[in-house]
Amino acid sequence: MLLSAIVFLPLLFALIIALWPKETSLRHLALGFSLIEFFLSLSVFQKFDPSSASLQLVEKHVWIERFGISYFMGIDGLSLWLVLLTTFLMPIIILASWKSINTRIKGFHACLFILQTAMLGTFLAIDAIFFYIFWELSLVPMYFIVGIWGGSRRIYATVKFFIYTMAGSMLMLVAMIYMMYLTQEATGQMSSNLLDFYKLKIPFIGGQFFSLQTLLFFAFALAFSIKIPLFPLHTWLPDAHVEAPTPGSVVLAGVMLKMGTYGFLRWVIPLFPEASEYWAWLFMLIGVVGIVYGALVAMVQPDVKKLVAYSSVSHMGYIILGLFSFNVFGLQGGLYQMLNHGVSTGALFILIGMIYERTHSREISKYGGLAGVLPLFTIFFFIVTLSSIAVPMTNGFVGEFLILLGTFKVMPVFAYVAVLGVILGAVYMLWMFKRVFFGEPGPLVKDDHHPLHDLNFREVTVLVPLVVMIFWMGLFPNQFLDWSKASVDHLVQNRSAYNLTIYGASATPAAPLVAEPPTPTAEPTTESTPMPEAPSPTTDTTAEPGE
Amino acid sequence: MNFNITLDDIVLISPMIALFLTSLIPITFKVMRGNREQNPLTALTQGLIGVVMAAVLLAIFSGAGRMAFNNMLLFDGITQWLGVIALASAAGAMVLMYENPSMRGGQFSELIFLALSSALGMLILVSATDLLMIFIGLEMMSLSLYLMIGMSHEEQLAKEAALKYFILGGFASAIFLYGTAFIFGTTGSTNILDFFETARGLIETNRLFLFGVTFVILGFCFKVSIAPFHAWTPDVYQGAPTPLTGLMATAVKAVSFAAFLRIIATRSLEGSQNLFDILQWLAVLTMIVGNVAALLQNNLKRMLAYSSIGHSGYILVGIITAGVSENGSFGASGVIFYLLSYSIMTLGAFAIISMMEKSEDSLVSIDDLAGLAHRRPLIAICFTVFLLSLAGIPPTVGFFGKFYLFNAAIGEGLLWLAIWGVLNSAIGVYYYLRPIVMMYMKDGEGEIAGHSLNATTVTVVISAVCIVLLGLFSGSIFTAVENSLM
Repeated sequence: MLLSAIVFLPLLFALIIALWPKETSLRHLALGFSLIEFFLSLSVFQKFDPSSASLQLVEKHVWIERFGISYFMGIDGLSLWLVLLTTFLMPIIILASWKSINTRIKGFHACLFILQTAMLGTFLAIDAIFFYIFWELSLVPMYFIVGIWGGSRRIYATVKFFIYTMAGSMLMLVAMIYMMYLTQEATGQMSSNLLDFYKLKIPFIGGQFFSLQTLLFFAFALAFSIKIPLFPLHTWLPDAHVEAPTPGSVVLAGVMLKMGTYGFLRWVIPLFPEASEYWAWLFMLIGVVGIVYGALVAMVQPDVKKLVAYSSVSHMGYIILGLFSFNVFGLQGGLYQMLNHGVSTGALFILIGMIYERTHSREISKYGGLAGVLPLFTIFFFIVTLSSIAVPMTNGFVGEFLILLGTFKVMPVFAYVAVLGVILGAVYMLWMFKRVFFGEPGPLVKDDHHPLHDLNFREVTVLVPLVVMIFWMGLFPNQFLDWSKASVDHLVQNRSAYNLTIYGASATPAAPLVAEPPTPTAEPTTESTPMPEAPSPTTDTTAEPGE
Repeated sequence: MNFNITLDDIVLISPMIALFLTSLIPITFKVMRGNREQNPLTALTQGLIGVVMAAVLLAIFSGAGRMAFNNMLLFDGITQWLGVIALASAAGAMVLMYENPSMRGGQFSELIFLALSSALGMLILVSATDLLMIFIGLEMMSLSLYLMIGMSHEEQLAKEAALKYFILGGFASAIFLYGTAFIFGTTGSTNILDFFETARGLIETNRLFLFGVTFVILGFCFKVSIAPFHAWTPDVYQGAPTPLTGLMATAVKAVSFAAFLRIIATRSLEGSQNLFDILQWLAVLTMIVGNVAALLQNNLKRMLAYSSIGHSGYILVGIITAGVSENGSFGASGVIFYLLSYSIMTLGAFAIISMMEKSEDSLVSIDDLAGLAHRRPLIAICFTVFLLSLAGIPPTVGFFGKFYLFNAAIGEGLLWLAIWGVLNSAIGVYYYLRPIVMMYMKDGEGEIAGHSLNATTVTVVISAVCIVLLGLFSGSIFTAVENSLM
């Protein structure tokens, strides 16, 4: 019940907000709701067993029997932190948009909560069609958020965003239906259950593009690549980010892009092991190109928000690099970097939103010398900048270090280029920082008619949790990585024949008696290799330089 | 031939009898009142009572493949489902007629009479198994429609539409009859059931039979606006009064596809590879033409007309699937479910247009919607639901309609048709989003018409609720459809 409550409670909140009669108390109500949701999601920790790689807190009901579609949700180490990231960012977003969203407040908050349901559903659904419904549903509220509350070119941006993502995912739907028929062939019973998909052995012929596994692989990969977005498919992202209102950008960068990378982790890599191994070079190449390209383009942006948008392209390149290195370091790093990017880029967008509320401009050249006027703002911005360029002690360092380590073990060449991206990242962020905060005061800063005020209490409240997370994740990565370790190990070791068990096998009536055995019996057969010991000491050592 | 008309026959056709008798009520009243129009609400109520009675009788008495009148009429699952869909759409269209400026006036009783006659034709069409019965149903339905379009207040465009529809409809009927003649010449029968088993073999060996079947299919292609026989659709849909456009786009299309389905069920596609190939290409062409042309439209009705062509393409994919499927009921139920979802969302969309029409000859363009969400949030949300459903965004019923349809196609190995289908859905998203952009993201003077629109509003809200609910419970409905076809 817990997962259902987490996923569908926001939908109920959206309904209440839509019917709430008083506009003045709406924001408080929304904030309260989002906090309830956050605390509810924290209770997952109590019931979650980090030592098990199997699917936990499972809820499974038959939905459409004819096609074997089920209402199937479960959580494991891969999705745990993404769920928490989503619920963590939501109160922050609502508080951050307290002043900036002034029209149609009701609709805005209703959209946010529907979006939250869709995103959480995407992370928790373990049934292909069920997943697809949430995946597509997430487009609709985001479409309205960008289109109604966005900037001047919002309509172009939002339609582009919608069509790009929709077009990408249509082929995935065809692939899913096709795989449903494959399960029918294999077991005699059609099913869209992901656990049944995992059991399929899809024939793979290397070097032949028009072979079954390769085609299915690319149908899925295309949908997720557009969402991430990977290098040649990224053009919707800068438009959407720049035109979106601040909360929209935060959700988009913080969570929605992770839906793509999570898709790779949950769907593509375990479902098509041979194809993803065969084509790993392509995705690593795209990742590396994205890292460098994103960084170079970010460098020359005159608009701060666009700069951060392109930096997202660069950061997402790291994640894909980590995921396709197929070792514990790369996968853990990729997963960690998803969270880092959610926190630090989210914080950057919030900060940019705050300064935009004051000056109504995002042009770098109009600023300068901001540090003298807004000291508090400068401090926060600096911390977040450091996190974004992966300075040790901040969260960004742990993620990028693990990814580079993982990449180095498989394809050193890509690691060399990716390290170049780290330098470029520092260049564009620090250069921007210098031009905005130091030097001669720009026209917007020394405008005596509109003196700038430093952060108020609300804005500090928004930023403090993010900064706390930046250092917490930077200093004690194991507190986070331990929760996902079992799942990642399991994925790395059994990649060629991935399977997921249901925790405690509660699906069978005899569950209480054999609650423990299934997990241990499943593990020993796969843990015969000496690998599992490796990750924990290494993740320890990565933390040490920071301390 | 000797005909024995048993009580069974009468019971089975009781829905049609009910429709016919109630259709007489409004005009009889009018005559008895000395040719003075009765209260339109009374006439509407009479019409709705007739439709409801027919639907109930259809649901009670038919099913399980019962035959009437010497195997001329078949009452099976297809008849039941598509009959009820057509009757429900007709009821919705009558409600729109009641409040649409171009329909309301001195001749409302006659319009209700014609609408019910048209519905009677539809019931004949969905139950007919004899090509001549199909023809009678088709003509009865269409002739009533020609008259209704011509009778409306709207001046020039409606007359042009009526004439165009009449000429092209006549042309299509002629082609259909021509094909029927060939079939009769080769098999000695016009009843589908007589050559049901042999059609597959006949089509391989007998050119004339192939010719006949092809012409019959072409006749249907005209009726359901399959490209390249679609050119009349946008003009007629635009010119006709909106309630009638709604009727044509939903009920007429649904029942024409029902008859199409019966012909395809003879498995003639398996006999002729060429026919099979051609139909597949027609489906692809229809999807592309409909969706691409819809991108360029500014008139809302014209846009929906092209979108309806696009949807015909999707349904044709389902028809082809049903034609080649070993497990025929799966493909056919995909088609029926799609027609169900399509009818609800299309009727809802036309109801919104009908609400926007302020006078007899107002043309609603997409720009007229600007700012509607501010003034009429409920209407805007309902329209958004219809458009998202037409675009196939989950969890609306439109998504599940496409899902079942393409699922069946993939199951029959028609993967490439499914891929064309989903690619076209992606194109479709663009033009379905345009009205939403206008309503929510632009400021403007968009407003619904000033006169009373309560009945239409109720229709719109019911349709929107149905779309969401049917989406969530689509599985059980699909299974019910499939079981009724077994």
